[in-house]
Amino acid sequence: MANRAQIPTKNSALIAMIADEDTVVGFLLAGVGNVDLRRKTNYLIVDSKTTVKQIEDAFKEFTTREDIAIVLISQYVANMIRFLVDSYNKPVPAILEIPSKDHPYDPAHDSVLSRVKYLFSTESVASGRR
Amino acid sequence: MEERHLIPESGVAADQEPSQEAVEVVNRREVRLRPGAEEKLVLQFMDSLNSYLSFSHSLSSTLGQAWMELASARHSMGTARLNTSLLDLKFHPASTTLKIAECDDDSVDAKARFVLRKWISSEEVGEDEDSNSTKSPEPADDDDEVCYSQVRRERAKSLSVFGILIPPKLRAAQQSFERALETLVEMANMQSSFLYSFHQLHQEVEDTKE
Repeated sequence: MANRAQIPTKNSALIAMIADEDTVVGFLLAGVGNVDLRRKTNYLIVDSKTTVKQIEDAFKEFTTREDIAIVLISQYVANMIRFLVDSYNKPVPAILEIPSKDHPYDPAHDSVLSRVKYLFSTESVASGRR
Repeated sequence: MEERHLIPESGVAADQEPSQEAVEVVNRREVRLRPGAEEKLVLQFMDSLNSYLSFSHSLSSTLGQAWMELASARHSMGTARLNTSLLDLKFHPASTTLKIAECDDDSVDAKARFVLRKWISSEEVGEDEDSNSTKSPEPADDDDEVCYSQVRRERAKSLSVFGILIPPKLRAAQQSFERALETLVEMANMQSSFLYSFHQLHQEVEDTKE
């Protein structure tokens, strides 16, 4: 990748959420909820009736909106759309996988950490120089 | 040492006449390969990755506490008074937003820096969008009371979605989630930092293989 990564600077960017009800309610209490004039929100509440297609659509929408800086996604939800999350590689919005009440965070499944862990394998920087 | 074998941005093969862009890329790469720069990148990568993992551990703990407080609040208020069906879709801007700045360390690529702006009133959000100002959320000394009352007002507005009589556990849950937000923003900054270092080191490995 030789092109310079463009970082869009912004003063009032939003935090989007794709998570279970309690997590979304909690962060809404912290003031991150946004509803625009078209009644579009910056969150998707995932429950037993939420389909994988809905989660995929929400992820694609949040990662292409220019007013969103960070996307919080519960790791168990991210596992449902792992291929999509793994293929995302832009600097903004940043994707953060978070734990949920019933599913603790596992660094081994984190997309971003998986991308960089090969530096610690036999194909590391040091071994490449030998 | 000039590295004309580098693949230029235009994708032109190495044996063809290098374009102006390719020459500029070569020049920038020469600056990035100065002695000590790679070690600095590796240290930066390791430091930011370690910080990211520490913050994620702290986040798990903070969120655990927040969920517990939310469950206690739901127990005292009743399930019907604390659920997402109470959320309406009337227009309202977020009170807590982020400022994105670009950090440029004299290299080809840049990394993002996120700054949390908590409890900005809706009037200030409108002004920011109109003027694109870089107004700091931290007011002058004389305005401390105004700022504090604004924060209290915005917090109360956020809680009022779930009724007028708010139990202490719900307020505690709100503060826990605010702390979780601060940790998340730090995680985003660390992630941006180690991804930036990773990209630089990855380029280095690719160039070495060539």
